[in-house]
Amino acid sequence: MINPYYMQLIILVGINTIMAASLNLILGYTGQLSIGHAAFMSLGAYSSALVTLHFGFPFIISLLCGALFSAIFGVIIGIPTLKLKGDYLAIATLGFGEIVRIVCLNLDITGGAMGLRGIPKKTTLLWVVLAVLVTVFILNRIIKSRIGRALIAIREDETAADSMGINSTYYKILCFGVGAFFAGLGGGLFAHYMRFLHPKTFDFMKSIEHLCMVVLGGLGNMWGAFIGASILTVVPELLRSVADLRLLIYGAVLVLMMRLRPQGILGPQTDIAPAIEKIRLKFKSIWHRLARGKT
Amino acid sequence: MTKRKKKMIMFAGVFVCLAMLLAVAGCAPEEAANGEDGTIEVKIGTVGPLTGGAANYGINILHAVEIAVEEANASGELGNISLKLISEDTGGDWSAAANAFTKLIDVDGVDVIIGAVLSSETEAGGPYAMEAKIPTISPSSTAKDLTKGNPYLFRNCLSDEVQAAQLAEYAVEELGLGKFAIFYTNNDYGVSLKEAFETTAAELAEVVAVEVFMDGDNNFKPQLTKIKESNPDALYIGGYYTEAAKIAQQAKEMGLDVQLLGADGLCNVALIEIGGEAVEGIYATSGFYPDDPTPAVQNFVNAYKEKYGEEPDMFAAQGYDAALIVINAIKTKGASSEEIREGIAATKDFPGITGKTSIDEEGDTIKDVLILKVEGGKFVRVR
Repeated sequence: MINPYYMQLIILVGINTIMAASLNLILGYTGQLSIGHAAFMSLGAYSSALVTLHFGFPFIISLLCGALFSAIFGVIIGIPTLKLKGDYLAIATLGFGEIVRIVCLNLDITGGAMGLRGIPKKTTLLWVVLAVLVTVFILNRIIKSRIGRALIAIREDETAADSMGINSTYYKILCFGVGAFFAGLGGGLFAHYMRFLHPKTFDFMKSIEHLCMVVLGGLGNMWGAFIGASILTVVPELLRSVADLRLLIYGAVLVLMMRLRPQGILGPQTDIAPAIEKIRLKFKSIWHRLARGKT
Repeated sequence: MTKRKKKMIMFAGVFVCLAMLLAVAGCAPEEAANGEDGTIEVKIGTVGPLTGGAANYGINILHAVEIAVEEANASGELGNISLKLISEDTGGDWSAAANAFTKLIDVDGVDVIIGAVLSSETEAGGPYAMEAKIPTISPSSTAKDLTKGNPYLFRNCLSDEVQAAQLAEYAVEELGLGKFAIFYTNNDYGVSLKEAFETTAAELAEVVAVEVFMDGDNNFKPQLTKIKESNPDALYIGGYYTEAAKIAQQAKEMGLDVQLLGADGLCNVALIEIGGEAVEGIYATSGFYPDDPTPAVQNFVNAYKEKYGEEPDMFAAQGYDAALIVINAIKTKGASSEEIREGIAATKDFPGITGKTSIDEEGDTIKDVLILKVEGGKFVRVR
């Protein structure tokens, strides 16, 4: 059987893939800089955990409750904030993230500063794989549809999109709602895996981590979300053995990455094949150069 | 097959491949290595923040555990058993603590864990220890009911309830204080302290104000103004030394001249370094008094100073004692995880450097609470 430690890493990669893919819809395809994604995760995590604890619903219902609750908040937050653009939207979502964290820290029902404990463990590898596939499938369908083209049009030029008859506010709120829905789903899986929740985890840095996953993997690329999530979940664990240098190396990897490949590992292509071909050619040319150098 | 379908299958394929790759990479945890000369190696894991804001606590505990393990290995008191220490960093994040616990248990195959440090870390890691049946003893997680219902989880520290309640009693009966204000930090530690102190103080005397602050705050004047209006005799600070020192200074600046009280989070020389004159006369509960003249305490203090060049604090002392309890369990019962668990659970009147320690049936510690007072820029034991 798989060693439970590696199993745990795979599950966390899966959950982070859902988080990164849902943020990718907002950031990569629609071009809205949201840095409050951890807030949606925590809404989904807390609400699904509370539903399980108080009503004892089946797992799938709890997950959907968490996701829907998060989506509702996504829409409610989207209505006033999505009239803002760029930096202003970033600040507004940042504020929203902090509000959610502070509320979770002070409510009695969420366990406050003591954290919420005793959540039953229900998330298994099968659930996570299914959730990842469903998320990626639905997001892919959205992106390939009329809605997706509208979102991309908004990303490229909002004024032009408006003048073409696209109701940009409507589409932005829609994408926020969908993004929040899947973030809530990821949160629900996380809560039922960790069996314990504390607001400290869903802070600003968690949102930044999700942002890094998307940017590192490649904006506007579903494969990028998966690769970014895998790297940023596995690398900190691999670096455990170097203890003190861990954060230093982690930071250096990010800096180097952005310096050498600012478009992310895969870049904005939607298909993985050309990217792999490109990497192969690059390696080939390096190999040739090395081979020539030797002789 | 459409292109999209193909892509979905590819996506699933990559995910499964990754899973299998990791499965191949992860062999079963190593068994306790028995050397050729018949020695048995017992692996001790530690979990705690070695980086980030809470790193100070985790590093001090790790240092103390290192000293205890080195001493035990050097003295040969365990016969043919040698101890090996493996430490994992959490950065203060409880979800990283869950990873650290799983790694120690499933990859390194540790026999016993000393940790975690913060209560939330231990909350997250506890279920893993219970599933894998690895005994775990936390040297510093004070949250209420932490060890309840988990036969593999123990702790060696003052529980927040006990120390806050005892200080409230002391303040009313010995110091003759009547009206209390409580000022606590909004985390698990502060909330537990506040609840216990409020209950006892309200029973014995009167609580006139309860205010809250956040870790890392610098300005406490708005809350202190409110506290001043309620005209208390004493102010109980449920928090850590950094904030407490600043609270003491700002209270003094505002003319709020009351008796200050606190918990073990204040017992660090940094309280006096930061607070200076303002923290003079403060009373605080503690689990450790570094100037205790008993040889065991002085040996530890000297060994720690020699190795790390600084005076050990309460976290270090509790970490050292937790390691001693584990070593004692190995000595009395045996080297397997189950035997170590039995040994820890059977701890009774163990003469540690933080006082006589017993473990009750819930895995909680029973030990004496010391009360220290700051006098002339030094902590002095008053009880």
